[in-house]
Amino acid sequence: MPPETFTFDLPGAWRIGAPLVLLVFGSSAWGYLRRGLSRPRALGLATLRAAAVGLLVCLAARPTWVSRAPPSADQRTVMLLVDQSESMSVETDGRTSYRQALDFARVHLLPALAAAGWRVQGFGFAADAQPADGAQMNAAAPKGRRTNLGRAIHRALSHDATPPWAVLALTDGIVNESADNARGLSALVENRVPFIGLAVGSDTGARTLSLRQVTAPNVVATNAQFRVSAELEANSDDELPPFDLVLMRDGKPVQQKTVRPGPGARLWLESFTLHEPAEGTHQYLVQFLPPAAPGLKCASTTGTAVVQVASDKELRVLYVQGALTWDYKFATLAVQDDPIVKLTGLTRTSKQSIFRQNVETAGELQYGFPTTLAEMAPFRVVVLASLAPADLSPAQQDLLARFCGDLGGGVLMIGGRATFNAAWQDSRLEHVLPVTFTSLEGVTGLDRPFRLEPTAAALAHPLFALAHDQSPREVWARLPTLTHYGRVEAAKPGAQVWAQHPDDVGPNGPRILMASQRFGAGRSAVLCVENLWRWRLAREADPAQFDRFWRQLLRFLGEPSRQDVVIQLADQELRPQQDVQLTLERRPQASDLPGAKLGVHLRVEDERQQTVTEQALELPIGQPVNVSFRPPQPGLFAVWVQDPDRMPLASRTVEIREVNVEFQETRRTLETLRQWASLSGGLACKVEECTDPAELVDQVRARVEELRRFNPTRRPAGMNGWILAAILTALAVEWVLRKKWLLT
Amino acid sequence: MKTHATQWPGLRALLQCAPLWWGTLAALAAEPAGSTDPGATFFMGRVQYSKNDGNDCGTVGEELLRLVSRASTLKVQRERRLKLTDPELFETPFLFMNGHNDFVLSPTELDALRTYLAHGGFLFVSGCCTNPSFPRAARREFARVFSGETVQQLAYDHPIYRSFYRVTEVRSLHENRNIYLEGLAFHGNLVMVLCEDGLCCAFSMENRCNAGKGVSPEDGQRLALNIAVYALTH
Repeated sequence: MPPETFTFDLPGAWRIGAPLVLLVFGSSAWGYLRRGLSRPRALGLATLRAAAVGLLVCLAARPTWVSRAPPSADQRTVMLLVDQSESMSVETDGRTSYRQALDFARVHLLPALAAAGWRVQGFGFAADAQPADGAQMNAAAPKGRRTNLGRAIHRALSHDATPPWAVLALTDGIVNESADNARGLSALVENRVPFIGLAVGSDTGARTLSLRQVTAPNVVATNAQFRVSAELEANSDDELPPFDLVLMRDGKPVQQKTVRPGPGARLWLESFTLHEPAEGTHQYLVQFLPPAAPGLKCASTTGTAVVQVASDKELRVLYVQGALTWDYKFATLAVQDDPIVKLTGLTRTSKQSIFRQNVETAGELQYGFPTTLAEMAPFRVVVLASLAPADLSPAQQDLLARFCGDLGGGVLMIGGRATFNAAWQDSRLEHVLPVTFTSLEGVTGLDRPFRLEPTAAALAHPLFALAHDQSPREVWARLPTLTHYGRVEAAKPGAQVWAQHPDDVGPNGPRILMASQRFGAGRSAVLCVENLWRWRLAREADPAQFDRFWRQLLRFLGEPSRQDVVIQLADQELRPQQDVQLTLERRPQASDLPGAKLGVHLRVEDERQQTVTEQALELPIGQPVNVSFRPPQPGLFAVWVQDPDRMPLASRTVEIREVNVEFQETRRTLETLRQWASLSGGLACKVEECTDPAELVDQVRARVEELRRFNPTRRPAGMNGWILAAILTALAVEWVLRKKWLLT
Repeated sequence: MKTHATQWPGLRALLQCAPLWWGTLAALAAEPAGSTDPGATFFMGRVQYSKNDGNDCGTVGEELLRLVSRASTLKVQRERRLKLTDPELFETPFLFMNGHNDFVLSPTELDALRTYLAHGGFLFVSGCCTNPSFPRAARREFARVFSGETVQQLAYDHPIYRSFYRVTEVRSLHENRNIYLEGLAFHGNLVMVLCEDGLCCAFSMENRCNAGKGVSPEDGQRLALNIAVYALTH
């Protein structure tokens, strides 16, 4: 073994320090000689003083011992981490991953390490890590609710004063805690210890079935249809047996359905359609009863959503037409019995005259299209029908954009070829709408009867649910045919296409007949159909379905402006004792002054209406503010934003669940182990690939030596008590002698 | 006092409408008021019902369309001649029906009309030449469309009198009385409007067939346009 070498980390300190030492020696000697000391005495005192300074300069240059070889095997150990989290209980070929890990260690790994003369210290780990010998490992069961590999590595490295040669981990690589990763990685890098990941388990994972979350609208109007949807996830090579999904309303079962999950990996929605006749707040819990399938793992079987049923305040719709159309009449018929939707018509009947209908005051819309946001503010949706580009000035288009983006209003453009005109290209209105306009309008007069063909997303959306007792697909397939439609170029990124032409394919795929998008705080949509009234008038039609579609469409468009303050939940894992991040944003109002702030109170309550947190905030208009709270236990938490008078501005319910995250993913994840290995200079592989354990040990040894060759061990020299004592001694002797000789 | 003509109502109607035959021929030769513009938004069907061939006061349909297009930005479509049993009925949201004589609707016609009106269609009915047989039959027949609904007089405070023009009163030209529109409602919506006093004659054919009787030409044009706009907005 080559010896250690001595070096200075900062040799430049000598370049400054050496002249300083000489200067101290020379000046001291000269001073003593001038004060009458004999030459030997003067030189002796100067030498003592220069020696003390020289030692200080030496320390400033950071003397270091450098070793380029690993210490002998008997000085170091190898840490063996064995994953004891619950995901290791997944069975492959009748054997759990944990048992597979122990068998590999016992039969292959430990004998090879012993043959190489390495000592092994075992650790069992899940959320935390504890030293364990073979008997303890054998007696243990994989039951850990979390996997924190970073903490396990840190514990292993700090177990002994001397760092180990390497950290070996037998794990499936499924890690669901990352808070200690930085500590673990720092410990590996600082100690130059390679991480060796040995992946056990299977690449296909276990059969799983889980309820990821339950979603429902926060607020619905009385008697309005809505859906409570459960997001289910299943993974199985073969077909899982059917199971029952139960919907409980305030603790009592109200609906039940049998679900056939099918084979393969799937993520899908199962929905219950409901309507509530009376106001109130209801808790909807969806639960599935796990089917009897061998080895089936369920991360979560329940989920909850809270829905507030309220008598909606009036939803005023401004229907603007370039000319009188039958669509307006039929839309009026559709909403005439609706207790919430109020349609106000504004129609240009000639170049000089307008026709107003259902205005609330004599002066409302007296001069036609609104000219200020304040005039538009009473409306929640604006429908633009049969309008040519010349009918809306740039200023009016800009007003519409602000109405949608700032006030959270809805904008719908409906019509055919004359409405979806190329002249709208690059206009402010095109910027608002979810589609781009085309200059290629196709051949006129060739429209043939067609049906609106809803997309898969539309068929799963409540907006397109037109009958209680039939599937949306059946209903829409039987609707009457329409005759003319407008051409648009394409949907914008982020837009949702709801319906397409069944036959006409444009340059960008099937012609879009209906689409929507979020625009700022509001929502915009297009319905590229001319004479939609044909649907209701058709002999085979059910007028109630047409009416329902219009009502749902107007509610859909008017919905974003329901609350003055928006409470958004960041994408995060929700669990007890961990901060829940929220974003609050106040919607702009027409009456807002520039730079104004709204003082609000944020209050979070648990299910027993006990306050979890309460704080005062200032919300700048239109700017999001981040807040958080820490739920102490699982359950439903109501987040309230109140004005200074404690009147509620917005509310939202957050569900904190105890989810068995260990079964959210059961396929082994070699990638995680590769990342640890890559950052620490180690290696990662599947255990079945380690056919020769001796070769594995050689590879580990090679990694250790490589690390140490390129990163030699550096041990500080000089920073100890002896050096300090020498400095003090030199100075003390110099002082004593100086006093004695100068006094005599 | 009964006159000779009232003892022979059919003969009287024939004599009064004689100029119409010339008018019909002239209208056929003239350019139609409507068009086949695919962008047209106002569709009107001229109804052929019972034994009526839909040719009473032949150009009245075209005259109505011309009236509508003159007074608004509406693009009008050429009138269609339709039987109540035609499938095209359900593609035509506005129907016009007139006549001189008594008529009886068949069950098939009644059924089609019931569906049409329930789905949002609108029917404008006018008796020709102040002949009482047609409106009497209309009241009787339309009372059979919806159970429990009869044709009712529309008072002057009804929105139909101010949907486009503000009409406060309509005086009969030959009798000392007001003329009222009548209507049939379905679920509270006015779906059919009837005028017995020669309304269609008042806005067409220069009122030659009904001169000096019933609705004046000025009131006739206003009422007709109000009815069309009402149908488009309610």
